[in-house]
Amino acid sequence: MAGQIHRIDRDRARFKEVVRGRIREDLQRYLASSELIGKRGDRVVSVPVPAVELPRFRFGSNEAGVGQGPGEVGDAADGRDGDADGGAGGAGEQEGSHILEAEVELEELASMLGEELGLPNILPRGRDELDACGGQWSGIRGQGPESLRHFRRTFRRALVRTIAAGDFDHQRPVVTPIRDDQVYRALKPKPRPESSAVIMHMMDVSGSMGREQKDIVRIEAFWIDTWLRSQYRNLEVVYIVHDATAKVVDKETFFHLRESGGTKISSAYELCLDLIKERYHPEDYNIYPFHYSDGDNWSARDTERCVALVRDELLSRVNQFCYGQVKSAYGSGQFKKDLDTAFQEEPALVTAGVDDRAGIPGAIKAFLGQGR
Amino acid sequence: MVSGPSLTPRLLREAQRAEAAASDAGLSFFEVVFEMLDAADVNAVAAYGGFPTRYPSWRFGMEYERLAKGHQWGLSKIYELVVNHDPTIAYLVRSNSLMEQKLVMAHVFGHADFFRNNAWFAPTERSMLERFEEHARRIHEYVGRYGQDRVERFLDVALGLEPLMDPHGPQRRFRAAESRARRGGGPPGTTQVERSRRSLRLVMGDEPPAPDPGQRQRPTFDLLTFIAEHAHLEDWERDVLGIVAAEAEYFMPQRLTKIINEGWASFWHSRLLTGGLLEPSELIEFADCHSSATQAAPGQLNPYKLGIELFRHAERQGLDLFRLRAVHNDVSFVDEVMDEAFIERSALFVSEQGRGGEGARIGSRDHRRVKQELLRSLAWAGQPRIELVEVAGGGRRDLVLQHHHDGRDLKLDEAAAVLRTIEGLWRAPVQLLTFEGDQARRLTANGGEVEVREAEAPPSALPSRAG
Repeated sequence: MAGQIHRIDRDRARFKEVVRGRIREDLQRYLASSELIGKRGDRVVSVPVPAVELPRFRFGSNEAGVGQGPGEVGDAADGRDGDADGGAGGAGEQEGSHILEAEVELEELASMLGEELGLPNILPRGRDELDACGGQWSGIRGQGPESLRHFRRTFRRALVRTIAAGDFDHQRPVVTPIRDDQVYRALKPKPRPESSAVIMHMMDVSGSMGREQKDIVRIEAFWIDTWLRSQYRNLEVVYIVHDATAKVVDKETFFHLRESGGTKISSAYELCLDLIKERYHPEDYNIYPFHYSDGDNWSARDTERCVALVRDELLSRVNQFCYGQVKSAYGSGQFKKDLDTAFQEEPALVTAGVDDRAGIPGAIKAFLGQGR
Repeated sequence: MVSGPSLTPRLLREAQRAEAAASDAGLSFFEVVFEMLDAADVNAVAAYGGFPTRYPSWRFGMEYERLAKGHQWGLSKIYELVVNHDPTIAYLVRSNSLMEQKLVMAHVFGHADFFRNNAWFAPTERSMLERFEEHARRIHEYVGRYGQDRVERFLDVALGLEPLMDPHGPQRRFRAAESRARRGGGPPGTTQVERSRRSLRLVMGDEPPAPDPGQRQRPTFDLLTFIAEHAHLEDWERDVLGIVAAEAEYFMPQRLTKIINEGWASFWHSRLLTGGLLEPSELIEFADCHSSATQAAPGQLNPYKLGIELFRHAERQGLDLFRLRAVHNDVSFVDEVMDEAFIERSALFVSEQGRGGEGARIGSRDHRRVKQELLRSLAWAGQPRIELVEVAGGGRRDLVLQHHHDGRDLKLDEAAAVLRTIEGLWRAPVQLLTFEGDQARRLTANGGEVEVREAEAPPSALPSRAG
């Protein structure tokens, strides 16, 4: 019996293949939609796969049903307050129309992305770092030379054991460590620099960046993170918002904050530079600043200031500097032109314009297509 | 009459007690074989519809994932699985408590009685375990000969057309064969057959006239079988369609009797346990377990709850419960037992989809409408009724299908995809007549493209046989 039941493993594996095939087919659509965002765990992404069901003759939306419970005619059928947040419609959904979530490893999603857009793997920045293997004596293990014995921890373990065994005598507090109590300091390998990276997402949150513009940024950022996460073992992400001033925020705030002030892009670039100088030293990190705005800046003077910052300070410290310009109803789009003019011959500075969601894959390809 | 090779002696004793109690109460069943499984394995068996030896398909894997997720998140838990077979096979879950096992065993005897005595199960084959294995063996053979991809693709096509069958077809054929046997002066049917025939007449009225040979293609709901028999297919493809049709036919009675079957089993587990099987110390746990199985999520309908309450209602009215379980499917059971008082006491309502993406709303509490909507949703195994009404003659082979519109529209995009599939198999254009609201529509699949047009209203006076 058991052997037969384990046929299911084969069918599950096949199902997962089918799902992956479906995702691959639909990757262009996923690339331009926000479906996957918020579905990402540490290692896996839950991908909603509505299309994996075989098509059948089914009833459409004007099907009534029968329910059970208290309430007046006109009340919500599930007994919940009718004024609650919209969006979660379709309480009486038919069997079979459920959306299935398939878990896909992050690595695999990234490799699909890589295949789809033809992205090259990122080459190590320099030779030196390859050998840079260090570590700190912050680890603990059960064996080691006596010279590395961690006295405090060893004593603590012995004390806990003595108390637990009921042998502890307050009058005569003698604690004798035995072999099992002894622990030793160990070398904890420190991540090698070439495997560490930091992404700095900077976004203009001034009044002219609307909801759709931010969604586009969000989707782009998701895929950029996914790709770089597959390339670096340790990835940190920093979020910076700016209008006339810049500040570091958490992810939630980054995507939902809306300010109304003017726009001074140099404020973000300065903050970015400060962070690099203080925390993310180029010798320890691969650094990827991404800046998104609708292309309006406060003044031509501030734009000059930005160009100078990028040219003189940032480019020498980062792997690549990317600017994504999202089209909005108010933005002039001038900033991209200015950057393009100033850095015609600079491969480490990439700009891309995104008119709408359909432009997202193109922008991702431009940003990540150089393998830097 | 009961065995359980993988049960502990204690559980086997409980199984024997439950069996004795069930027999004393008047239930009758084939031998019941209990199998003990881990929760994960039960999910696997359930994904295969109770037959772990079925052919390979990713859809079983998908079903397993769904069940496993539900289990993992505590949304759903399978307590037991009963397979309609002789002997009746019942899977128990190892992680159940002793009280739960007792409850489940009593529940199992309720199902076993239902499978054996309900008229809708009379046509089903009781030795499907071997049939399923044989099907799987043939599919494996085709995979070996024609390749995994090709066979799997075709299997998907066949499974997509699986619902295109007449839910009452097996029953009708069974009765026709019986009446032929009777006219031929053959030996009188077994007791069981006699009984089901009697009950069938109660449900369905008199038998339809025997088909007239030599007539051109009669309208049929058995579209899958029709394609298997008449399309230009390779032999193995024809066989795969036949396999899918046979398995769908086997499962159909269970889909027609969800409420009454679960109601019957729940009615008896409750009656038998509170009637002596339960230790006093188990009472609270029983009440907890029973009520969580028969509770309704807000706004939804739980077949266990609806079924058990209908049986209790019927008992209060003095109806013969054993007759009800012998003759009815969900539709006729609800139709006979559900009345105004029941609908009012159970707080049933018609739910309607709100406009603009709102959730469902209570549309009406009028008992006539509630009953009508419920019967409509249960009728025809909950599927749209699609009938093959015409095969164009004169060198053309176009199929004309008609959707029997009952106020519920089809999802047209999915319908179009199904038509493309049928066209691919049939290798000639396929049309579907349906309605979108009041407007008649004609969908035509031709060359892989589907065209949707407004149509003249199709003749609505088509004979709708068996309802």
